[in-house]
Amino acid sequence: MEYYLPWFILLLPLASAVAITLTSLRKGGVAARLSIGACVLAFVLSAVLFGRDASGVTQFNWISLSDGATSFIADIALRLDPLSRLMLLVVTGVASAIHVYSYGYMRHDPGMGRYFAGLSLFMFSMLGIVLADNLLMLFIFWELVGVSSYLLIGFWYEKEAAADAAKKAFLTNRLGDFGFLLGIILVWALLGTLDIGALKTKLLTDPNALGALATAAGVLLFCGAVGKSAQFPLHVWLPDAMEGPTPVSALIHAATMVAAGVYLLCRLFFLLDVPGSHALVVIAWTGGLTALLAALMAVQQDDIKRILAYSTLSQLGYMVMAVGLSGSADNPSPAMYHLTTHAFFKALLFLGAGSVIHALHHEQNIWRMGGLVRRLPLTFWTFLVGTLALCGVPPLSGFFSKDGILALAQHGNVALFALAVLVAGLTAFYMFRLVFVAFIGPAKSQAPDRAHESPPVMTAPLVVLAVPSVLAGFWGINEYFGQQYGTRPVEHGFLATLIEPFTHAPGAALSGLIATAAGFALAFALYRNAVTDPLPSRLGLVARWLRNRFYFEELYAGLIRWTQDALAAVADFVDRWVVAGLVVKGVQGSVELTGRLLRLVQTGNLQTYSFLFAAGVALLLYFALAR
Amino acid sequence: MNDVVLMGLEVAVLVTGLAVLLLDLWITPDQRRLLGFGAIATLGVIFSASFAYLPDGTQYAFGGMYALDEFALYFKRFFLIAGMFVLLLSVGTSNAEEGGQGEYLSLSLFALAGMMFCASAANLALLFVSLELVTVTFYVLVGFQRRRLASLEAAIKYLIIGALSSAFLVYGIALIYGATGTLDFRQLASLPAAVMESRILWLGALFLFVGLGFKMAAVPFQIWAPDVYQGAPPSTTAFLAVGSKAAGFVLLLRVLHQTLPVLETRWLHLLMGIAGLSIAYGVLCAIPQRSLKRLLGYSSIANAGYLLIGVATLSAAGATAALYYLAGYLYTVLAAFIVIAVVLQHTGRDDFDGLAGLHQRSPLLAAGLTFAMVSLAGIPPLAGFFGKFLVLKAALAAGAEHPGFYWLLGIAIVGVVISLYYYFGVVRAVYWGAPGEQPAGPIRVEWPLQVALYLAMVAILWLGVMPNQITNLAELAVKSLGLR
Repeated sequence: MEYYLPWFILLLPLASAVAITLTSLRKGGVAARLSIGACVLAFVLSAVLFGRDASGVTQFNWISLSDGATSFIADIALRLDPLSRLMLLVVTGVASAIHVYSYGYMRHDPGMGRYFAGLSLFMFSMLGIVLADNLLMLFIFWELVGVSSYLLIGFWYEKEAAADAAKKAFLTNRLGDFGFLLGIILVWALLGTLDIGALKTKLLTDPNALGALATAAGVLLFCGAVGKSAQFPLHVWLPDAMEGPTPVSALIHAATMVAAGVYLLCRLFFLLDVPGSHALVVIAWTGGLTALLAALMAVQQDDIKRILAYSTLSQLGYMVMAVGLSGSADNPSPAMYHLTTHAFFKALLFLGAGSVIHALHHEQNIWRMGGLVRRLPLTFWTFLVGTLALCGVPPLSGFFSKDGILALAQHGNVALFALAVLVAGLTAFYMFRLVFVAFIGPAKSQAPDRAHESPPVMTAPLVVLAVPSVLAGFWGINEYFGQQYGTRPVEHGFLATLIEPFTHAPGAALSGLIATAAGFALAFALYRNAVTDPLPSRLGLVARWLRNRFYFEELYAGLIRWTQDALAAVADFVDRWVVAGLVVKGVQGSVELTGRLLRLVQTGNLQTYSFLFAAGVALLLYFALAR
Repeated sequence: MNDVVLMGLEVAVLVTGLAVLLLDLWITPDQRRLLGFGAIATLGVIFSASFAYLPDGTQYAFGGMYALDEFALYFKRFFLIAGMFVLLLSVGTSNAEEGGQGEYLSLSLFALAGMMFCASAANLALLFVSLELVTVTFYVLVGFQRRRLASLEAAIKYLIIGALSSAFLVYGIALIYGATGTLDFRQLASLPAAVMESRILWLGALFLFVGLGFKMAAVPFQIWAPDVYQGAPPSTTAFLAVGSKAAGFVLLLRVLHQTLPVLETRWLHLLMGIAGLSIAYGVLCAIPQRSLKRLLGYSSIANAGYLLIGVATLSAAGATAALYYLAGYLYTVLAAFIVIAVVLQHTGRDDFDGLAGLHQRSPLLAAGLTFAMVSLAGIPPLAGFFGKFLVLKAALAAGAEHPGFYWLLGIAIVGVVISLYYYFGVVRAVYWGAPGEQPAGPIRVEWPLQVALYLAMVAILWLGVMPNQITNLAELAVKSLGLR
């Protein structure tokens, strides 16, 4: 039974996607039921697996090519271990809440069937990444996530911005994936297998198996994570992806797509953490830089979803940095821990934002909101829980997971530690800016006066998600992930867990708290009663840079346009004169001519045919017997 | 009695054919369809019964005339599947057949029995008789639409060229007998080397190959294929393209490896040359084609070339590749002809213009034809890709010993590239063709054909994604042939 359960979990969403596409694209209600049912069932089955501590590999042979010396074997295999077990639970759990919420959010959209088909396809791809047991399969599902996210981000394809955002997300991801693919090929060339278990044993017996190319392999594999987890310099797609429906943003940004990059790093940690490899250093600094840049950009955004998007970027930077700093402990579980808690409160925040947008009839600018605390009480309180968790206020879940990362940084690298503390302060600042301006401060337009709380089908998931956002710090998630990397789980009592950060690394915990308090105080002073943003007038140029996201978009656009124009001119010349003129016209012409000439042989005349047949035999005899 | 049990599958098919012929006399025209379904169901039962045979090594019947081994069973199952699809196709398009439904069914069944006998032939006499059973029934099947001039013309052409090739075949058998004094495969295989050196024997073997080459539609015996493919009713063409061709290959493989293994090396260059020529000829001639059936005629010649590459390597890998290739080709061609049959029935034409707007008139047919073309073109993950891949891999391995295979490999790859042009020409006609003054109503596909088309499409995909199941069977079959 346990042998087949993972297959069920993986294939349920696919079955739902296929069933919806074939039968109920125009029947939104049926599609929603199918999709939600598949996701919730997958969640229940994941819980069963989790409860039974099921582990091992289930597989059947798919491709095996061997050529004597080298062999290429790819199985379709699923892997269950502490990492995938808990990740499975997080992904299906958060996704279930989002699926249910979507039913309320998308109820009046004519494309609801298509929406849920895309959602199910996305789930299938994501679960494939979680369960994959070899790099080839991982890559296939990796690409599938790219495709299905393209479909979801561009769901309102009639909106130009949405279509462009989908294209941008897809292409930016492809860029990272190309590096990832090169990394996979390099690993295969060096170690001769793609099977994760086999790779692990190979590296255990001979840690230097990757040789001088260890750094290159690690960085190339990291490229995949840079694309999917939107790390600098490929971070540009993520904020634009907000053009998709809000539940999609919640799904992509919380537990799934962007988490896949961090998950990949933890899954392949043994490949990165080898002697002589500097990949982890690159990873740590990329993550730290992303965390800082994104937090700065978030400070001057006005769109509620975009603020959350930059916050996601920043938190992902945190996680990636944590992976990079885990080399000395051989245990990247703080990254997975933060990923898990972040999945809860970020999904909560996005769904809360969706509830606000829904209530205000698709108003997303926070400077046209205000006073929502009375209009949308349930949304406000759950949103506040999410905010506090994100800012790392004890005893909410975010505090513990963020503290784990701060402690790592304190041990590992002073510069990165300072950076992480600064980011913690910035996080509190921009999140409370959002809360004060949108919810607590005075109303800045007529829209908030007409707002009504969203229906229960949308608020219930908020409440459900608020629970783990508060409590997940006490569930031993960190220790659970630690099993994957060979540490023994230690049982802590409730109180012991609560004070553990202060006894274990008091410096990290205190500086984090102080930074958060400072951020909150600053936001309170600036935005408590603000009607317009005071920062641009006070900071001038700096604020403009922040608002324009350091002009990365413009830089990329210019760079891409320039190189593209140059490349296009060359390609045009080659294509027009060399390829089309010489090669194609020449070859095609001669081939076509031969074809037409040969056709003349088929006259349809029976006498000719008989003659040709006999002549053929004569020729055959001549060649066979004359020698 | 034991002998009859051993060839029970063929006997059952023959009895079914006779039963259909007799029952046809008693039933009303409305019940004809039921008769067809009955015959298909019986074939299904016979197919499952084939798994009850577990040959332990090779078993012989009728004094060594008839051999049953895994190799024979592989092809028998292949022919049975082909037969079921062809019957389904003929039942589904019965309105188009002008002759009697019953006769068509029973003739197809007799041809099927002939092919199955081919798979088990262990004696040149049985080889000739079973091959003639196939050919003679096909003369009638090709000309079955007797009021259609094209059908009759095709039948006459097939008859004359077929008779010519049979003459060579029987002459070759006579020469072999003259040189060795035996028709039995096992005795031929154990002849002393001195006899094997005989030029008469080699001449006889060459003539034998002419007869088989006609069945396979390999250059230079391909000349009949386009005309006959175009003229014959679609269900017959489908049967001709898969069944009759495979019958040629099963006999070639058995003669090559079990009957005259000493001559193997002499065959090598001949087979390589014929393979290359077949690919080149088929591919080049297909370029200007606008008739779909004719296009598939040329494609059939090119595919014979790819199959011959696998055979020419004289290795287990090559033969396995050819066997897998045939399985993929079976479903691909069947899917294509199901679509062609329906389109022909509705528009009366089989050229590209008749396909225009098909994706709107019937998405299923459009998808089926696209599947078939993409698979023929050898695009992953469909069956056609893996077949070509295995064949080329075997050729690459053989190239270490005979560098000529590298040339053949080059021709094969260029052939694939050129073939993309016309296969995708068909896809383009389906999705982007200008409809012209066609009546643009939707095409209703009868359910038996729908079922057949869905099954074929699933099989094409399944074989491509999960090739191991068939390659394992094929390896088993090839092993029983005595190949390393």
